[in-house]
Amino acid sequence: MLAFIIRRVGQSLLVLLIVGLVAFSMFNFVGDPIDNMLGQERTAEDIARLREQLGLDRSFFVQYFRFLQEALQGNFGVSYRQGRPVTDILLERAPATLELAAVSGVLAILFGIALGVFTAIRRDGIWAHAIMSASLIGVSLPTFLIGILLIYVFSVELGWLPSFGRGDVVTVGGWKTGFLTESGLKALILPSITLGLYQMTLIMRLVRSEMLEVLRQDYIRFARARGLRDRAVNFRHALKNTMVPVITVIGLQLGAIIAFAIITETVFQWPGVGLLFINAIQFVDIPVMAAYLMLISVMFVGINLAVDILYFFIDPRLRADRTGGH
Amino acid sequence: MSRMICAATAALGVALAAPAAAEEFKWAVTTDPQTMDPHAVNSTPVLGFLNNTYEGLVRRGKDMSVEPALATGWEPIGEGEGWRFTLREGVTFHDGSSFDAEDVLFSYQRASSPESDTASWFAPVSEVKVIDAYTVDFMTTAPNPLFPSSIANWMIMDSGWAEANNATRPDKEAGNHATLNANGTGAFKVTTREPGLRTVLEPFEGWWGEAEHNITRAELTPIQNPATALAALLSGDVDFINPVPIQDVARLASNPDVKVVQGIEARVIMLGFPHEAEALKFSSDIDGENPFADVRVRQAVAHAINVPAILQTIMRGNAEPVNQLVSAAMSGYSEALGAAPAYDPEKARALLAEAGYADGFSFGLKCPNNRYLNDEAVCQAVTGMLAQVGIDATLEAMPVNNYWPELRADNFDMYLLGWSPGTFDAEHPIRFLVATPNEEKKLGSWNFGGFSNARIDTLLPMIQSEIDPAERQAMLDEVAQIMADEQAYVPLYVQPLVWGTRANIELTQRPDNFFILRWVTVS
Repeated sequence: MLAFIIRRVGQSLLVLLIVGLVAFSMFNFVGDPIDNMLGQERTAEDIARLREQLGLDRSFFVQYFRFLQEALQGNFGVSYRQGRPVTDILLERAPATLELAAVSGVLAILFGIALGVFTAIRRDGIWAHAIMSASLIGVSLPTFLIGILLIYVFSVELGWLPSFGRGDVVTVGGWKTGFLTESGLKALILPSITLGLYQMTLIMRLVRSEMLEVLRQDYIRFARARGLRDRAVNFRHALKNTMVPVITVIGLQLGAIIAFAIITETVFQWPGVGLLFINAIQFVDIPVMAAYLMLISVMFVGINLAVDILYFFIDPRLRADRTGGH
Repeated sequence: MSRMICAATAALGVALAAPAAAEEFKWAVTTDPQTMDPHAVNSTPVLGFLNNTYEGLVRRGKDMSVEPALATGWEPIGEGEGWRFTLREGVTFHDGSSFDAEDVLFSYQRASSPESDTASWFAPVSEVKVIDAYTVDFMTTAPNPLFPSSIANWMIMDSGWAEANNATRPDKEAGNHATLNANGTGAFKVTTREPGLRTVLEPFEGWWGEAEHNITRAELTPIQNPATALAALLSGDVDFINPVPIQDVARLASNPDVKVVQGIEARVIMLGFPHEAEALKFSSDIDGENPFADVRVRQAVAHAINVPAILQTIMRGNAEPVNQLVSAAMSGYSEALGAAPAYDPEKARALLAEAGYADGFSFGLKCPNNRYLNDEAVCQAVTGMLAQVGIDATLEAMPVNNYWPELRADNFDMYLLGWSPGTFDAEHPIRFLVATPNEEKKLGSWNFGGFSNARIDTLLPMIQSEIDPAERQAMLDEVAQIMADEQAYVPLYVQPLVWGTRANIELTQRPDNFFILRWVTVS
């Protein structure tokens, strides 16, 4: 088992290294950061000096190696754009993204499961059909369009909710939270719906199909035959048995919510790490791009690693596989 | 009605949250000023923003004319050996320390240091002498009539504050105290600075000037997505946005809650040629020769492009054609120069035939797609118009971050360029775009095509040092005429400036695209 974990950790590290290498090889295509750092009256000399100072005159292998060396010591360099340590900037921006992701995730899970159960139980009802049709919108409309639509309806036309930003924030132990102010909570509504809609429809459709599957099982029929009440059958027996695959998917989608926040954050000017990344691309802020990509890949690799290790405990067949069973 | 109630509740909410914020003003721009250091980055977003909080010896008024700021007066020394500035007394910085000649000397040393992005402004200066606490002499290597106006964006920093905070030199790469904090003498002080998120300004009680504005608090938020910025303006979440996308102008103009403020920016958009190249790089039918080296081919290009049509369709009538590298609002603009080559495809074909390209040729046109207003669309139109006279451009449009490196590497057969003269004078583009490239003399650093004309190279230093305005203008006219005769560039149009505000805001728009907060009133 230890060997299995070591192997998995080793594979994860390899994935991280490759992600970093690919990222660095692509930075060449994003453009030249120099022109964003110098004004129009710069000379060729200024350009050459700054290029050398930033190490941009080296190949991307050398740049990547330097980045790794520094990153191992917890130093992600200084943002070209802001002239501040990248670690500080990321820490400053992280709460906004994490709060948005948390609210979106909770919304997606609550509504996803509730609507999934509803549409499964009332599968022929008119409301169930309406919800299923509407869910197609959630799956097929691109996120930025949903965001813009929500802004136009609820901010521009109705004037109920703010069109951008995070509202007022309160600092609690170094963490800037928007949960404690009225404007902060209001500002969360539209972006979290935008970000959570896709996950919600995904969970809803998954719960529904799993539920329909389970409701056909013999033990459900048997439970009904025993004269159990509908509520007990649906929730105690059926829903419980649909939860295993649903929880797996939710776990894996957690990372996706944080990563997909880029688009939502751009549409709503939400001051999180996703917006930071988009701006970094615009200004070829290589240290910020590199740190963000590494952070996201560490997160994904970490989640996958955790899932793998959990499976190892849950599923004995994996263990048999490791010892070369069949 | 319900909307009014909502607005009223929202207003009440704001009033309850911050009772002092009677005239709060919020605005959104595409690009956040990346630093609060007035000497670190020479760019419009930074200098435009910092003009609200720092001040120079002189400043530009609503009509771009130079007026006294921290200097009350200035006069030439002797026969053009330099300029003497008399400083304003009783001025204090935001932190309370007083302003005097030492701060001017320090700011000169800081802004002209190699670490600074503004060093080129001081290239003509040989020495700065402090005569007394309120008199400073700027000695120049040659007579320099335009020196006072060329330093309108040079801002004065307190020497004591910079020393106490280890910020005596700008630091673009690693940043320092002055990157995140500002301590100027201007009408507004920075109270909160969160890079990329928001910057809050409040009026400086101790400002020497008379306040024209009625703002008690101002907040700048960068919003990169144009649709979001527009929604923020329409919903009243912000009072002002810059820019408004050209395609939304008509829609905004019909909305009674908002206003569109339009003007002409100082930026001229032009096409450039590879004058120096031996051969075209992206041609499929011509090998080993460069048709654009022939002035007749360059003239043919000018005659082939229907500028009024481009402005009517792509710019929706919001821009003006131009015949030289500066707009008519700049000093030194050549009135004497004749009109730009008229749209005349017949003549263009004749010129091509005369030059030996009756069957046309193919070449590569490079264009940015996120630098100037509708830049890629303009290039597409140009491509179509050139095809009409038989020359086939293969358009390659790319983000500006990739664009400049391409131009520096000479990877073009023709390119699009916009130029806004930092000094608001016709000499500026000659120095950067027309003079023969010379790294040592810091000339022609944006002359990617390597255009070279001995007469212009001789005239440039004479223009720079000529004190008599009529003599100077005569030389500028001569340069403009040579440029037109040689068709060194094809100037197309002056880029429009489109701002959007709520209906209750009064402000002043300047062609340098600086947003000056002290001219804003909220009613």
